[in-house]
Parts: sequence; structure tokens; C-alpha cells
Amino acid sequence: MNQTDMQPSDQQDLRMLRESARTLFERAGGSERSRKLRDAGGGWDADMIREMAEAGIFGVTVPEENGGLGMGLAAGGVIAEEVGRVIAPEPVVVTVGLSLGLLRRLCPEHAMMEQLVGGATVLAAAWQERGPNGGPAEPSCRYADGKLTGSKAWVAGAGGARGFLVVAEGDAGPVLVLAEAGADGLSVEERRQADGSAMGELSFSGTPAEELASGGAVRDALAEAVNDATALAAAELVGLSERAFEITLDYIKTREQFDKPIGSFQVIQHRAVDLNVMCEVAQSGVREALGLMDRETDPKARARLASRAKARAVTAAKKITRDAIQLHGAVGYTDEFEIALYLNRALVLSAWLGDDAHHRRLWFEAREEEGAGQ
Amino acid sequence: MTDWNAMSDAEFRKEVRGFFEAEYPEDLRNLPHRPKFAEIEHWHRKLHAKGWVAPAWPAEYGGMGLNASKLLIFYEEQQRWGVNRGRDMGVQMVGPLVIKFGTQEQKDYWLPRILSCDDIWCQGYSEPGAGSDLANLRTRAETDGDDFVINGQKIWTTMAHDATHIFMLVRTDPATPKKQQGISFLLAPMDQPGVEVRTITTLSGETEFCEVFFDDARTPRANLVGELNKGWTMAKALLSFERIFIGAPNLAQNALGQLESFARGRGAFEDPVFRDRFAQAALDVEDHAALYSRFADQLKRGETLGADVSMLKIWVTECFQRITELMIEAAGPDGGTVGPLQVGNVNVDVLASFYKARPTTIYGGSNEIQRNILSKAVLGLPG
Repeated sequence: MNQTDMQPSDQQDLRMLRESARTLFERAGGSERSRKLRDAGGGWDADMIREMAEAGIFGVTVPEENGGLGMGLAAGGVIAEEVGRVIAPEPVVVTVGLSLGLLRRLCPEHAMMEQLVGGATVLAAAWQERGPNGGPAEPSCRYADGKLTGSKAWVAGAGGARGFLVVAEGDAGPVLVLAEAGADGLSVEERRQADGSAMGELSFSGTPAEELASGGAVRDALAEAVNDATALAAAELVGLSERAFEITLDYIKTREQFDKPIGSFQVIQHRAVDLNVMCEVAQSGVREALGLMDRETDPKARARLASRAKARAVTAAKKITRDAIQLHGAVGYTDEFEIALYLNRALVLSAWLGDDAHHRRLWFEAREEEGAGQ
Repeated sequence: MTDWNAMSDAEFRKEVRGFFEAEYPEDLRNLPHRPKFAEIEHWHRKLHAKGWVAPAWPAEYGGMGLNASKLLIFYEEQQRWGVNRGRDMGVQMVGPLVIKFGTQEQKDYWLPRILSCDDIWCQGYSEPGAGSDLANLRTRAETDGDDFVINGQKIWTTMAHDATHIFMLVRTDPATPKKQQGISFLLAPMDQPGVEVRTITTLSGETEFCEVFFDDARTPRANLVGELNKGWTMAKALLSFERIFIGAPNLAQNALGQLESFARGRGAFEDPVFRDRFAQAALDVEDHAALYSRFADQLKRGETLGADVSMLKIWVTECFQRITELMIEAAGPDGGTVGPLQVGNVNVDVLASFYKARPTTIYGGSNEIQRNILSKAVLGLPG
């Protein structure tokens, strides 16, 4: 099975979706717009969020009866790739993968769904915790009597979010609750990231929050939402890598040394080819993985596919953005050149939700488990 | 005559798979070496009786007349069941050449003999001074009455010691401004005093490659295919469809399967470093297969493949080599041992895989040449 098992009409839909997303981002100013937002403090543009919502971007994987396009993860990937191409700071993967990924699985009737799909608000999802050694730890944040106590870490999009979807431990297992930004007893520490964005470190002391769902379903929905977000982040890295390669290719065609474009030297040409091949393999592998995830219902298999996608995308993005700097030479080390933005964004997207080594480990373990189960 | 192309892909696949599984001799599955004709003659006769020797040839010449999509399925099934390609230089190269550029007399004479394997062909392209720079070839053919007289040397001629005929690129005009001009396509019999074949022992101890020496060897002028001095263009035209097969995933996939059973038997997966390197290789194979399907689908839609198809070959051959290195690593102190290593109930010939992977980055246009092609034709880089 592969991506092309899709019907031609699906392919056509995806093509149209890609074109409209690309037009939207290009018209808004491409990566220059992203640079301006970064320089202005690292947030996003509320008008852009509304325009994206009008184009159906946030509701791409939400069923039609809940106000979305009902198109599946492959379509989400198409959008994420376009986000990656212009390194747009708007929280697409956070919203499509995590926030709506949780809500549409646990409480599709909640009013927040419509607001997120319509771009009227943005939420951030908080589920990971930091342990004493600084690394990830088992969750211990508690929810009891309508109040949260504890902490959460690595909350992407925390800066501009109006509220937080928090996965906490309730009296009868895990719960999903909604805490408003600015609620009593909530403090948000923003840790600045290489691309100018911030990851939130949240701490709750008796913070009031609305319970949305509880029980084993929360754990399952979280796992699936994280799978979706991981796969979408992979697609974003694919778009980013593709554009970083194009920028580099243009540069080596025009930059002259020894009275020739440096792209006429064989050593540069072969390196460029290797980046191109890496890029194409990543694009095919990641698109195939997302397509398969749409047809796969077993959560373990979906997790394995998400890991396959992220492992590949990070491997490719690392290689491409680093080599892109080298091929640019000294100007590649400046902030002024466009390529720098791509490297810095790649650093953040690679680390978030697990890097290549992490996902190769998960992929191998999932494969072993599936093999043992057969 | 069956119109295979009218079948659905699934029906056709079932038909091909059924025939291979029922008829292909078990002891010839996944042969580790290239067989001499005698070793696979029995299978060839079965294929011939079935009319399946030449899947890509048009039906009017005795082929199956498969379109690109069906042809791909045929080869996929062949690889899946480990069916040996046989001595297929005639089918793959000479047939298409004669069909496209040959005279009616040449078609009538040569094509049936290829199908029946009355003639077994080898390919005379490379020379000691003409490898990647193939157009540098110097083997001469000069007219003498009704014959061409051939002098020179070919090398890396696969299985020349078990061939009755050679199809070759020769220089017929030494005084052209560009070396690509003045080259012609000739067919010549091997069994004559002016032809001497010497096998080359490879570093793995095999003798599949040969040198072929021509010392006033003769072939009738009627064995010139196409126009005199137009051989280079013809040779390039022949390569178009083959380029996807040289980048097919099967060699790397088979090696990965062997690596996995071997490593499991040896307990190599207990080592987290080995696990990670295995996962890298396995994902490299999986994602290559995704890229391969993208190109295969282009063919199935009836599109022509562009120069970018070369990236398949670069990726898969280098991946194949990494897998065989991992096999050696998993073998530990047995990494230098010749022959099959027994692990549990599987036998894995670690060095055979390793050796098999070496020439893949050299033949069919070395990976460096493929990178040159991609950089110019796909990336549009100058110079």
C-alpha cells in the first residue's frame, strides 16, 4: 500500500488544498512575514489565524458534522508542509494535531471545537512534565475538586494561547481539563526557542479548570493526538527541508568564486544531489506514512507510522539545514540570510515531540511488539 | 492470444504469481550466483512454452506485449518469488534493439532465436579505457568485402564464457569530431578463431565477468543494426525503461530480511547501538520503497520517467551496502568467514551479500555518474 492507492479524486482534492494554502502563505509574505513576527517578539498574527480558519486549515481533519473539512491526516500533512515552507509561526500542528485531536475524540460537541476551527481562539495542550533531572518524567499533576495542582512542561504555543488543555491525574484515572490563561494560581514561564517562539512551563496551585473528559479514553485520545501531531510535525519539517534546499540551490547557482558559480564545482554538485535525494525520500516516506495512518485503526501501528515519519523528517531536516549553511558559506552564519530562519525552525521542530533517534527507538519497539503479537 | 493488458492489475498479478509458484523449481529460488544456461534450461523451456520469455516485447514478435504497469507487476512477482532472470541479455537488450532499429530480415532471423535461447547473448560495451566514459571506446570494425573485421578488447562482459553471440558497440569511423559519433551497433558470433574469452576472477572468487579479445574476428555486414555510425544514439534510447529497475527495492529488501533473521539469531538486537543502526537501515529501505512507488505510478499512468529516476539507484545501492556492513558487524569474529553461517535454523552467507553489494554502486552508470546526471539534468547546475 502507498499514498497512490488513493483515488484520483482524493489526489485532486489534496492538490487543490496545497495550492490554496500555498497561495495564502505566499500572499501574506512568505518567510519574510515570519521574520517580522519573530523580530516583533515571537508571536503570531491574529488576522492570519482568521484567514487560515476561513480557508478551512484548522478544521482539516475535523469531521464535517463538527464544522471541519473531514479530510484526514494526509490532508493535514499537505497543510503542514506548506506551513513548513514559509516557516509560519501560527500554531497549526498544535491546533490540528493536539487541541482538536483531543477534543474531537473526547468531546466533539464542546463549544470550543467551533471556536478553534473558526480561528476565534487558540489553545495549547499541556501533557508532559519535567522531572528533577530536567528530562521528561511520569505525570503527577493532580486534578481534584475542580482544581489543578502541579506542573506541565514543553507546552508549545503557550504564549498566545487563551487557555490550556491539561491532561492531569484525577481521582478515577486521567482527566482532560480546560484551564483559562490568566486563571488563579496559574503561572506561565516562557522558555525562548531558537526560532523566536516559546515553550511554556506551566505551574498550577489550586487553579480552577473545567473537566472535559475522564477515564481511559483520555489516555487513548492523548496517545492518538500525539501520534497525529508527531506525524504533522514531520510533514512540516518536510516542507521546511524542501524550501531550505530550494533556497540553497538558488544560492549555489548565483554565488560566484574563482569566476564561476560555485554550483559548477563537482563537489558542490554532488552534495546538492545528496540533499535533493534526501529531500525526495523524506517527502515520499512521510506522505506515505500519513496516508497509511488515515487507513490504520490500530493505535500501535499508527504510533509506529508516526515514528517512521518523524524519524525520517528529522534526519532529512538536520542534514539539509546544516549542509545548507555550509553551502552558503560565511553568509549562512548570519541572521540576515533567509536560510538561517530555516535552520533555527528545524532545531525546534526536531526536538519537539521527539527527535530522530528517539523515534527510531519507538519505531523499533513498536515493530517488535507487533511482530511478537502476530 | 491473451490480451494481458485488458486484465485488472490484481487479476494479472494473481495469474503471474500462480504460474511462478506452481512451476518455478524450488532449488532455483534466490540463486546466489548467475547461472549458466544449462542450469536453468529446464525453466526456460517452461517459460518458452508458456510464451512468457519476453514480457516487454510486442505480441507480434512473440512477446507478452505488456504495458508499463503490467510489466512492473511481472517483475515484482519475479523478484518476490526469487525467480532467476535467466540469461536475459537477448530479451532485454538485443530484442528491443532489433525491434526498434533492425531490418525485417534481422527481426525474422534473430528474434525467434532469442526466445528459444538458440542464441545466448552477452553485452560488449565497456573496454579497459571506456568505463564511465563509454564513448571513449576503441574496438574497431572495418569493412572487408561482405564482412566487418573486428579488432580490440571488451571487458566486464558478463557471462561471455557462456554466450553464443555478442552485441557490441564498435568504432566504425575513427576520424569524427566528437567521440560519440562514429560508433555503430554490431552483432557478432562468439564461436570463431578471432574471438578469445578469458574469465576475470572477482575479489569474491566468482568468474561471472570476462574479457573478450577480438583479433581479426569477423561478422557479416548484414549484422550491423541500424545506421552506420549511429550506435551511440541507439544505445541511449535502449536505456530509458530499464532505469527504474536498477533502482528497485528488492536487493536491499532481501538483504534486510537476511540481516534481521541473522541478527536475531545472533542476539545482536540486545545491543542498543545495533538496534538503532538496524532501525536506520530498515527505515531507509521503507522510505525508498515509498519513493519507488511514486516513480512506478508515473509509469503506470503512462508518463515517461525523467532523469530524476536516477535517485532511486543512488539511494538503494548505498543502502544495500550499509545493510551488508551491518551483517558483517553482527557476525562479529565470523565476519571474515566464507560460506553460509548457520544460526538456529537459518543459513546466511554474510560475505556473499557483502560482495554482491559492492558492484551495485559501480555498474549501470556509477553512482558518481548518476550524481553528475542529476546535478545537470534535474537541478540545472552549470558546467
